[in-house]
Amino acid sequence: MTRRLPRRERGLETMVVYSLLVHLAVYFLCTRFAFFPGFMKQEAPVYYVDVVNLPVASPQAGSPAGSPAPAAPAPAPAPRKEMTLPARPPEKGKAKAVVAKPVPRNTPQENTREFEERMSQLEKAAGARHEAAALDALKKRVAGSGSTPAGMPGATGKEAGSDYGSYIQSRLKDAFKTTIASQSRNPEVFVRLTIDRRGKVIASRIERSSGDRVFEDAVMRAIAKAEKSFPPPPSGAEFEQGFVFKPQGVGKN
Amino acid sequence: MKKLLIILAMLLVPANLLHGEQNYLEVTAPGNRLLQLAIASPVSLGGAPNASYAQEIVDVLRFDMTLAGPFSVTAAPLSEAKSGIRPGEFDFAPWKLAGTDLLVKTGYSQNGTTLTLECRLYDPARQQEVTAKRYTGSAKELRRMVHAFSDEIMRATTGEKGPFTGKIAFVSTRTGNKEIYLMDYDGYNVQAVTRNGSINLNPDFSPSGQEIIFTSYKKGNPDLYRRELFTGAEARTSASRGINITGAWAPDGNRIALAMSKDGNSQIYVISKEGKQLARLTHSSAIDVSPAWSPNGAQIAFVSDRYGRPQVFIMNADGSGVRRLTTSGAYNVSPRWSPKGDRIAYCRQMGNGFQIFIINPNGSGDTQITQEGSNEHPRWSPDGRYLTFSSRRGKREAVYVMRADGTGQTMVSRGKGNDSHPVWSPYWQ
Repeated sequence: MTRRLPRRERGLETMVVYSLLVHLAVYFLCTRFAFFPGFMKQEAPVYYVDVVNLPVASPQAGSPAGSPAPAAPAPAPAPRKEMTLPARPPEKGKAKAVVAKPVPRNTPQENTREFEERMSQLEKAAGARHEAAALDALKKRVAGSGSTPAGMPGATGKEAGSDYGSYIQSRLKDAFKTTIASQSRNPEVFVRLTIDRRGKVIASRIERSSGDRVFEDAVMRAIAKAEKSFPPPPSGAEFEQGFVFKPQGVGKN
Repeated sequence: MKKLLIILAMLLVPANLLHGEQNYLEVTAPGNRLLQLAIASPVSLGGAPNASYAQEIVDVLRFDMTLAGPFSVTAAPLSEAKSGIRPGEFDFAPWKLAGTDLLVKTGYSQNGTTLTLECRLYDPARQQEVTAKRYTGSAKELRRMVHAFSDEIMRATTGEKGPFTGKIAFVSTRTGNKEIYLMDYDGYNVQAVTRNGSINLNPDFSPSGQEIIFTSYKKGNPDLYRRELFTGAEARTSASRGINITGAWAPDGNRIALAMSKDGNSQIYVISKEGKQLARLTHSSAIDVSPAWSPNGAQIAFVSDRYGRPQVFIMNADGSGVRRLTTSGAYNVSPRWSPKGDRIAYCRQMGNGFQIFIINPNGSGDTQITQEGSNEHPRWSPDGRYLTFSSRRGKREAVYVMRADGTGQTMVSRGKGNDSHPVWSPYWQ
């Protein structure tokens, strides 16, 4: 008599193989076709908007960013109705009985519907008024961004724009953000820049050193980077100005 | 008359000084970024390109500059940038576009067994060369040449030379005995200093870097030996009865402070480098060991258990004015004064192991700088920006290096056995 060996169960192995294949296929599809955007992060470019007006020789009083656009006019308030008191009921026996004309009375359902319709009309009208006002303010702001008189605090000139020193300062700030590096705790370096009539830096002299070579190189690197965006001085003459470079928040102790 | 002179002097002072900083426009930016340092692919300046040279140059530069601290290092792929390395032979624009603050360009040429390495550091933003060096030597000196340029990069960017050409002396059990070895600071080029089959401990470099002292049991007693590294000449400097341990070379190079027990308990003595006893500095009934000179040679830090438990003390170099330095922790040992004299590194027993601390010489600013494993024997790099120490983080004790603030801890010794008691060589003179 031959003894039959028990048949080997293959179901589990097959399932494991299938499961593996399915997982691999899903993984391939997800990564190949970027089903999960989190895996394929792309850094969005940073756009920078310059709010400093171009420099002029004789700036007028104002703000470097231009006068703020006038605030959107608030929608005119609805005329206030005088509050009326309800008529007092006639006293019995004293006054002649006044027979009021019969007023057609609505049913409660009709009242509710009418109220809702009126509310909806009012809401629509208010929304439209707000939209129009906001649009109007935006239009004014956009139209005024190029021509709104901008100036400098305390300036006495008549031209719209910033003064040259402030413009150079803003350009240096932008460049310094990308180069700042230091080894000491609170470095500060005083630099005097001389810019020729073509807008080229012809001299950058450290007047007070921070003693931190890494920081001073970062400052010089910022000046070199910023120089490309320097326009010629509006006065047409050579321009000289001192700048103090330091990490943000560092003050006198 | 005096008032008149003062008024005149005031009138002569430039107006901008009187007004202080009023005439300066402030330029500020947030944060403190690392300098973006790019290592361009090394190029052949003559002969066929050698991929192994190129790879080694990049690897050494990357290791040095990553430990350095002020840099974030990127290395361009070796198959790219086949352009020249001299000014005018390549374009700054792509490096500027990539935001590179510093660019290292290297080239090599080989003539027989002589290798020439040319290294140039550029500032792409300013489109100028910061520094350039050319090194010539045998091909096996390539790593040393690259370390030398790393030192130069540190000098050019921070104003102070780097310590990357330095050696580390250490004790290792890789042959089964405690022998003293020398290696590059990054763990390469290991050379045996002692091969006496005994116990050798506590190496310390002379200020010139050309000699080393250590304690050895090779004649049975723990005696102090002095050895010239280049000639191999060795002399027993202190062989008094009892221990002659923890020798520390004075900054003048002529004296050695050490702990001896010839008069009973272990006390601090000063001897000449030839071995003549000059002075006994401590006179306590406790155990005094591990002297460490201040860089000006005026003071000595040491360990004493005179108050019950080992603590770090400071005294004048003549033994007067003893004061306790460490007041926290029950077991503080192994002090070492920084080369600038502004800090003292030591280790404190914490739990089952030790951790490294840094303290100001006036006792303030006591700060723990290691946390992982058990860390001992801190020793400064010659510029005071880095420390080497031994650490047990698993089965094996190994030599590590780190920045002085505790960051960048990197294991550098790779041999078998336990490696301990590291000491960073001074600048070679």
